[in-house]
Amino acid sequence: MSIAQLTRGRVPAPARRAAGRDPLVVAAAVVASAIAVIAVAGPLLAPYDPNQLYVGEVSAPVSLDHPFGTDDLGRDVLSRVLAGAGASVVGPVIVVLLSTLVGTAVAVLSAWFGGVVDGVSTRLVEVIFAIPGLVLAVLAVAMFGKGLVAPVVALSIAYMPIVSRLVRAGARTELGKPYIAALRIQGVGSPTICVRHLLPALLPSILAQATLGFGYAMLDLAAISFLGLGAQPPASDWGVMIAGGQPALLNGAPEQSMFPALLVVVTVLSVNILGARVTSWAEGADR
Amino acid sequence: MTRTVLELEQLAVATPAGRTLVHDCTLAVRAGETLGLVGESGSGKTLSTRAVAGLLPSGFRSTGAIRIDGHDIASLPARDLRDLRARRLGMVFQTPRAHLNPLRSIGDFMTEALVAVAGEKPDAAHRRAVDLLAEVGIRDPERVMRQRPGELSGGLLQRVMIAATLSMDPPILLADEITTALDVTTQEEVMAVIADLRRHRDLAMLFITHDLALAGAVCDRVAVMKDGRTVETLAAATMREDAADPYTRRLLSAALPPERDDAAAPRREDPVLVVEGLRKTFQVRSPRGRRERFVAVDDVSFSLAAGGALGIVGESGSGKSTTARIICGLETADAGTVAVKGEPWTRPARGAPARRARAGVVQMVFQDPYQSLDPRQTVRACLAEAVAVHRRLAPRREIDRRVAELLAAVRLDADLADARPRALSGGQRQRVAIARALAAEPEILVLDEAVSALDVTTQVEILTLLDTIRRETGVALLMISHDLTTVRRLCDRVAVMHSGRILEQGTIAEVLDAPSADYTRALLDSIPRPGWTPRRRLPPRTSHQPAAAQAAARIVTTGGHP
Repeated sequence: MSIAQLTRGRVPAPARRAAGRDPLVVAAAVVASAIAVIAVAGPLLAPYDPNQLYVGEVSAPVSLDHPFGTDDLGRDVLSRVLAGAGASVVGPVIVVLLSTLVGTAVAVLSAWFGGVVDGVSTRLVEVIFAIPGLVLAVLAVAMFGKGLVAPVVALSIAYMPIVSRLVRAGARTELGKPYIAALRIQGVGSPTICVRHLLPALLPSILAQATLGFGYAMLDLAAISFLGLGAQPPASDWGVMIAGGQPALLNGAPEQSMFPALLVVVTVLSVNILGARVTSWAEGADR
Repeated sequence: MTRTVLELEQLAVATPAGRTLVHDCTLAVRAGETLGLVGESGSGKTLSTRAVAGLLPSGFRSTGAIRIDGHDIASLPARDLRDLRARRLGMVFQTPRAHLNPLRSIGDFMTEALVAVAGEKPDAAHRRAVDLLAEVGIRDPERVMRQRPGELSGGLLQRVMIAATLSMDPPILLADEITTALDVTTQEEVMAVIADLRRHRDLAMLFITHDLALAGAVCDRVAVMKDGRTVETLAAATMREDAADPYTRRLLSAALPPERDDAAAPRREDPVLVVEGLRKTFQVRSPRGRRERFVAVDDVSFSLAAGGALGIVGESGSGKSTTARIICGLETADAGTVAVKGEPWTRPARGAPARRARAGVVQMVFQDPYQSLDPRQTVRACLAEAVAVHRRLAPRREIDRRVAELLAAVRLDADLADARPRALSGGQRQRVAIARALAAEPEILVLDEAVSALDVTTQVEILTLLDTIRRETGVALLMISHDLTTVRRLCDRVAVMHSGRILEQGTIAEVLDAPSADYTRALLDSIPRPGWTPRRRLPPRTSHQPAAAQAAARIVTTGGHP
């Protein structure tokens, strides 16, 4: 027996236990779930009305009444951050869902059929790949007007090729394995092979890519809102808030930009740490 | 009695988690002697050897004594130990290709250690490397020095590895399953090289293998290992008579040439499968980037009687697997016809109903049971899926009953039904694969090297099972193999394939007992047996030529397109 075979069998401990040993992963899981909770229940948790002007002094620093301070219109920053969580998190989630669904479907079909189908779809995907996501999003805003819908759809299209290329490569490897040939000889139908055997095999890498994509989408959407093309004031999207806090930042009141920026960083980081864990777990479990 | 150069006393090896995998490995290799270490996979042969070479995986601990040239390695300072191992031990592994950088030439590989470790000048190192390659029987060493691993066959690469190991002049050679990945004919070449070296160099060798017949043929003494313990050590020449341990006797009986009774096999004369003039070429790139066609299968014709068993024998690359894949509809033939039960099957089935219909007639068992089962599916799910293909509207209960029947048919414990392939041994996995193939109640079962990846004892179990199934169900077997012994055990007819063509075919007695082709004789001679002397052969044996030259003979240039 080879050493690789010996050690391999023991590595894939259940993901829970593996995560339990790594405090970083536990912290990331806690943060990610906390953010999920505020994304859903944020407005209810907010101590003040997020759009109420002058609930405190203008551009007040951190205090007991206003833990994150207030902005240049006297609105409570904590309330605005909580209320904006939904829009800031849901946008990237939709981008990830759309790009993953479409990208995976294109990739699996192209790997399965091969030949002309594969050639045409791969070239098309590469053409989309050549357009930077932000440029496409700005273009979409120019064509369809400001707001979150156009950038979210544009980013979904821009991210699709990344998913599709990754999944196609994985699918081709997997389809070359003897167990797929065995299923075909058994007479198992093509849709069944794709859905019941191929997709579960690809799921780990799809999940890993999705968590990475979430991070990028969140940063890109924040950047779009920062440019004033995404969510529109007075909505309290985190990107809008970072942009809105700019003058205060220069006047020595960093809280207005800092707290939403910090949340973006913390969210992206925790999701990426979880994603890395999912990947290594899947690599071990997938034998 | 001569000096002992390597001694293991109650060697035990434990994993980082504290599980003991080797309990008691005790053996002694004398100067100039070859000691065989034999056992099934999982018996701890490789771990014990790695402990000697200091190559245990990180965290593994070994206890007990290892003495190299009388020095207990536990008592030596790390520096001296490293030095002792470097000068006294040479190790050769199972997979030479994995140990060579595909981008560097053989010359780079051979001279690197000589220059870097032994401090030789580059041109002196080059001369020495050429000498070493010549010593292991490579006939054009200067040319091989310029080639890269991808251009050489497995047998040649293994010889390169042996030559590289010899560059440090070690008196002790650890050989870990060095011929397991090779064809029988190539195995003979490598063993001939080893035999020459022992004659000329006074080399002590620890020869690890799972093949008792091979160990008996090439070793002086044989140590048998089971479940982490060496159970007994026997003189190779008399091991059949001396074997006391029941396990050794079981290994010996597994390695014995099998006796068969042909009378009982049900056989009708009408052929269920007729293959005529089959030809398949693959597009390849020549070294100059031109498109060429490689002839994998060339004018192959044979027929398989209903309920019969036909073996197709040949080396890797002889086109036997491609032939099987065409019959199963995984490849399309360029020319020729395949007829099953009189229906034309030359083109792969189109559409789901047609594919299902064919699946009910021809099924296949693959070589590697580690890769032919979906790793995420339990045994039950795997079999239920195969059953459901043919009983689309069957209620859950009926499918469950059929799955239980299949498990019983392949003598697999019902408790294993909820296990995933990872938890099963190679033999158990292969039983699942056979059960899955039987789910369709096929009339032809194609076995593509179905036992080659298994231990000798497991091979015998699976072959016996296949024979029983054939008698019980009347399924015809088409067995693709490079191993004449397994074909002789299971088949009533045999076809010998070489370079894409069938050289001869006939009944087992006609072909294997009175072969007419030189190649068949060479194949037969290369099977290890008591009193066997491995020989080096001259061309036209292909395994002796570099892979590229071998391939060139089967290249046809198509048109002038660059």
